[in-house]
Amino acid sequence: MITHLLALLKREIWEHRAIYVTPIAIAGIVVLGTLTALMFAGDFAKELDVAMFGAQNIAGETERRAVLSGLFFGSSGLFFLALGILTVFYSLDSLYAERKDKSILFWRSLPVTDAETVVSKLLTALVVLPAATIVAVMATHIMNLILTSIWVSMKGGDAGLLIWGSVSLFSDWLSLLIIVYATAIWMSPFIGWFLFVSAYSKRSPFMLAFLPLVALPMLEGIFMRSSEFAQVVWGRLGSIPIYSGIDLESLFDEDRFELSDQSLSVLSYLDIGHFLSSPAMWAGVVICGLLSFGAIYVRRFRDDS
Amino acid sequence: MTSLVSAQGVSKQFGSFTAVDNVNFEIESGRILGLIGPNGAGKTTLLKALLGLTDCEGQLSVMGLDPFKQRKKLMQNICFIADVAVLPRWIKVSQLLDYVEAIHPNFSRARAEELLQQTKIMARSKVKELSKGMVTQLHLSIIMSIDAKLLILDEPTLGLDIIFRKEFYANLLNDYFDEERTILVTTHQVEEIENLLTDVMFIDEGRILLDSPMEALAETYVEVLASGENADKARGLGPISENSLFGKSVMIFEGVAREHLEKYGELRTPHVADIFVAKVKGARQ
Repeated sequence: MITHLLALLKREIWEHRAIYVTPIAIAGIVVLGTLTALMFAGDFAKELDVAMFGAQNIAGETERRAVLSGLFFGSSGLFFLALGILTVFYSLDSLYAERKDKSILFWRSLPVTDAETVVSKLLTALVVLPAATIVAVMATHIMNLILTSIWVSMKGGDAGLLIWGSVSLFSDWLSLLIIVYATAIWMSPFIGWFLFVSAYSKRSPFMLAFLPLVALPMLEGIFMRSSEFAQVVWGRLGSIPIYSGIDLESLFDEDRFELSDQSLSVLSYLDIGHFLSSPAMWAGVVICGLLSFGAIYVRRFRDDS
Repeated sequence: MTSLVSAQGVSKQFGSFTAVDNVNFEIESGRILGLIGPNGAGKTTLLKALLGLTDCEGQLSVMGLDPFKQRKKLMQNICFIADVAVLPRWIKVSQLLDYVEAIHPNFSRARAEELLQQTKIMARSKVKELSKGMVTQLHLSIIMSIDAKLLILDEPTLGLDIIFRKEFYANLLNDYFDEERTILVTTHQVEEIENLLTDVMFIDEGRILLDSPMEALAETYVEVLASGENADKARGLGPISENSLFGKSVMIFEGVAREHLEKYGELRTPHVADIFVAKVKGARQ
């Protein structure tokens, strides 16, 4: 069972090389960007010397942590955007391509059930794709820290204190892990929908997947003068119930905002209990499960001859 | 001998079209059965039902299993080549071997590698870089490395040149087939495989027109070359088909004893293809 599943997951990575090529490419771009920025930063030598002196002698550890965590999550944005796009295209292709090139007959000639196949594709979208992104983000993080340390040392700064003493590696990484997987679970009904469409669609799964998502809210608006569907479906994209207690106004209000270790750790803004007790999250998981069953059913019963 | 496949009253409908119409047959183990039928006769549908790729009405049992409900278990003991195009184009030969090795309990990688050594196929090549003939060689090498009881081949040599076709069947017979194994093969080119079959089954419009061991075929069917008066007399015995060749009549008889026919002309055992054409034409009239 486990060897089967591993073989099936490996198979997905062989077929869809973008799963690892994309995060590696983005990591390359981000690291190159850092390198370029550090090289050009030499033009502001005097200002930098002052800033570094300030960071070393006046700013506290908390401020330094804040800056490094901010840089870390800031540079992850591109990865998350790519992960979203990759997941959409992967899920839509996963059960469609094998029918298009007729290799489905070969896959089904081996002792693997349709359920195992569909589950392997679901796990690829929910677990493997995010994992590849997380690893790439971590590697980028480390590379950037190393490059910056070298640069700080060359400028005569104390990299041990400024960089390594101030970075919250594990707290940041744990936050990253939680955010990415919570998002994957939260978005799972979309993945289930894409897998179902991928198994069902005779041609152009992309159109079939997005047309109802766009047309239904419009029809609802015209005929029922309401926007329930749009709120539930599209509203889901921006409402993941993992963050808590972030009061954006207070972050920008200097009088109310107090800098403390607690207020600067991303981890402290994540509320796993709130996420796990969210009915909307569980409803999404159930919908994802039902749509995946639909995909298994279609793959098993449809005769394409 | 035991029945490996047993079909009783098997039918398959696609809407109002009946692809397979109340079919009954048995396949015993250790046989090589040729399933012969024109396009659209229901061959592929019947094979898909045997492979559990499509559901059907009636009683169908393959190695004691219900193919549709127990497909995974069944696939451990059945191998299947549908058409040369089915191997995924993106995969590398080495990856394909890795995958089958992990998935199939009866696959011998060493054997597959040994078979591939005899071809020009490289482990690092992708399927899309191989010629059509090489893809078939690759597929056959994998299939022959799986210790399966039943091998189902659906038009396995379609689109291949004559050298590959001959080689394909030679390999199959010399390196694969033994009493433990059973092969079911469909093809258009009957004449190429008729001498390796032990049994033959004709199918047309979803119905089985003939199901017979090859030895029995030679006893049941006789071809007579007769001319003039003899031809008229022979015709009186009711041939199932008649053609003319070099001014002589070539008639095929079914179930007429040789001693009744030999006085009218030269007797021959008809080719499977000729019997097939006669049966199909007869059934359609």
